[in-house]
Amino acid sequence: MTAAVLALQDVSKSFGMTQALSGMSLSLLPGEVHAVVGENGAGKSTMIKIMTGVHQPTSGTILIDGQVVAIPGTKAARDLGVAAIYQEPMVFPDLDVAENIFISATDLGLLQRRGQLREKAHALIDRIGMRLDVDRIAAGLTLAEQQAVEIARALSQDVRVLIMDEPTASLSAHEAGELRRVARTLAAQGVAVVYISHRLEEIFEVADRVTVIRDGQHISTRPVGEVTPDSLIADMVGREVGNFYAKAPSQTRDEVLLSVRDLAVEEVFSGVSFDLHRGEVLCMAGLIGARRTDVALALFGIRPPTGGEVVYKGQPYRPRDAAQAIAAGIAYVSEDRRKLGLAMPMPIRANVTLATLGKVLSPLGLVRLGQERAVAESHRKRLNIRTPHVELAVAMLSGGNQQKVMLAKWLEMKPDLLIFDEPTRGIDVGAKAEVHDLIRDFVAAGGAALVISSDLPEVLALGDRILVMREGRQMGILPHEEASQEAVMRLATGQMQGAA
Amino acid sequence: MDRISPQTLRILALLVVLGLVVAFFASQIDNYFNARLFNRISSSVAIMALIACGQTLVILTRNIDLSVGSIVGFAAFATGNMVAGWPEISPLLLAGYAILVGACFGVVNGLLVAYARVPAIIVTLATMAIFRSLLVEYSGARSITSDTLPEWLVQFPNTVVFEVAGVQFRAAFVIAVLIVVAVHIALMRLRPARKFYAVGSNPEAAEMAGINIKATVFAAFVLSGALAGLAGFMFLARFGNITVVAGLGFELKSVAAAVVGGVNIFGGSGTVIGALIGAILVDLIETSLVRWPFVTEFWREAVLGALILMAVAVDAILMRRLIALRVRRERERKEAEAQ
Repeated sequence: MTAAVLALQDVSKSFGMTQALSGMSLSLLPGEVHAVVGENGAGKSTMIKIMTGVHQPTSGTILIDGQVVAIPGTKAARDLGVAAIYQEPMVFPDLDVAENIFISATDLGLLQRRGQLREKAHALIDRIGMRLDVDRIAAGLTLAEQQAVEIARALSQDVRVLIMDEPTASLSAHEAGELRRVARTLAAQGVAVVYISHRLEEIFEVADRVTVIRDGQHISTRPVGEVTPDSLIADMVGREVGNFYAKAPSQTRDEVLLSVRDLAVEEVFSGVSFDLHRGEVLCMAGLIGARRTDVALALFGIRPPTGGEVVYKGQPYRPRDAAQAIAAGIAYVSEDRRKLGLAMPMPIRANVTLATLGKVLSPLGLVRLGQERAVAESHRKRLNIRTPHVELAVAMLSGGNQQKVMLAKWLEMKPDLLIFDEPTRGIDVGAKAEVHDLIRDFVAAGGAALVISSDLPEVLALGDRILVMREGRQMGILPHEEASQEAVMRLATGQMQGAA
Repeated sequence: MDRISPQTLRILALLVVLGLVVAFFASQIDNYFNARLFNRISSSVAIMALIACGQTLVILTRNIDLSVGSIVGFAAFATGNMVAGWPEISPLLLAGYAILVGACFGVVNGLLVAYARVPAIIVTLATMAIFRSLLVEYSGARSITSDTLPEWLVQFPNTVVFEVAGVQFRAAFVIAVLIVVAVHIALMRLRPARKFYAVGSNPEAAEMAGINIKATVFAAFVLSGALAGLAGFMFLARFGNITVVAGLGFELKSVAAAVVGGVNIFGGSGTVIGALIGAILVDLIETSLVRWPFVTEFWREAVLGALILMAVAVDAILMRRLIALRVRRERERKEAEAQ
């Protein structure tokens, strides 16, 4: 057996209380395409960041050619021959292709000779088997071309380990095929290629070996000939199902609150159809790039749909902006609390009334502070927000409590439809259960909830029905009785097309 | 068309605008377009072009240097003081002294922005005031007057390098243009200099590509300071009299010159040649408005402000169109290939 070019041995990494990787081992052989699969949050990104010097392992060793090395930064990683390309390529939009490729080259002399640069750039683009005009400005390149530029940049620095992180997630089928060919070409030239993907079928096409990681741990590494999509899914899901959260009985009523038919946003997603009843929790499951959040943004009017029909409260509904959606009683609790949801330096009190300030205004248009405080207090008690008082800046709260403040803000609006995007991401188990209870209370009172979640146990515990998406298409809706982690994963990875 | 880079396109567009402005004022003002116009504008542009050049380097990296005006003032005073006390100092050494003084201030800015990670607008807003106060303290409220300066220095701005039909190319202007062209060539062709563009264009990608962002930003501030120092030397030579208000307001004028010259305020794109033409344009309009009876003194600044807004808007629209056009063309090419 050939010696590993790069190996991780018993590598662990924790961020504060969160254990992102524990005892991870992986060895990469020259000339292989090594696929790495795992659920969202399994630790793939952390592993890449350790190999590329972005993060330092908390414990464990990294070996290159059998020698223990430290990779203190991205520059060091490059010097050791480790490079990564991502779903969103890292190019310089204002520079042309040739300059982009050689931006950090050190062996070309001080003066840039245009002719020499173009020639070398051509040679590298040829080597990966693409066609690309090296004089073009990067801003006008397609995603696939930008990735080609990044790969060429890596090659210009004698890359020995090339990590491709979800490289095809945003590409068309044709472009994705081209990129897989590039991966094979590089492996044939002796590069060790790490290929991370959610598309199981492409793993069978491109990889020599496949490693499954789950919950930050190494689960299995096998030649691709010895695994099947089902065995991979079983390894990815793995955990004991059902012990974690129990499903509460459904409270679904007969009245349909929201009816969606063939909803589409051009070039983003299409063919999304479902009915949401009062009292129901509909979960949307899927992997990164499934476009679930885009569906939510379309319904909330941020990115208005370009096709399909929506009937809401018995009326045709075409949201043009968020204000209209809010007026219609739709609330959207975003995935990114920091960016879209909360004004971090402002007190809890002000955050809670941010969307409904009109209710606490005096006739002179001034905010009635006492009333505002009373509103915030009532939510603090009801949602059990753990804080000494409501004047505390939201930034001081824990993730779970921030999430509750965000929920309070939208509940204060008294919505009929609550769209909840990743309600429990980054919050601890106890707070998770509380948030789940709040969602159930909300629907029990007659509302309806659309919950987007990448956490499979959560989806199973919360959803009366589960809508699974994959790459902008609805793969099927599973009633709770028929849903299991494996069934959801099969739809999400495209191994099975369900009934709509 | 495709072969012309957006950079070149911008410079050409600026030259066209420059021509239009001259033509407009020539039709409005009697006896406008002559050698004297060139001579007057070239003398003041010689100073502003250097400052705008340094400012451009800083803006390219997604930063801004608001302290350049104070640096010009301090360097002018310090240089005047130096030559008053040591009249036989060689001209090159004196210019070098001015550059060194400016670079030292640049080091302060650079350390604070690049290494202490304080936003550039805060750092340079503060150092603008601090450097100015240092000048007040250092000068002890004295002024430099031209009678303390050696003859060669007073004569320097009027030295004509060559003359074409009454159009005088004076030493200061020639030197400034040479420096701008040199910086331009360096930015285009010197490999390490490309990092200024890389850092401003996509800082995340720059870090991933192993570029030392801190060192690059630091270098931009030091160069900006050095060029402001040299501009201070030019300022001293041109005016002879230096008071504590020397160079006041130059920081905003230099930003205006850069922006009008097509330098993207969000970094990553633009050229120093563009900034030079921007400096000429701003100065030309300012000078011409004085002689245009339709605009009163009070509205001059407003017209200048409107011009800046217009330049930026036109620039943004143009570039967006250009990129959209290329993307569309590319898609058509792809589709044609697919068939």
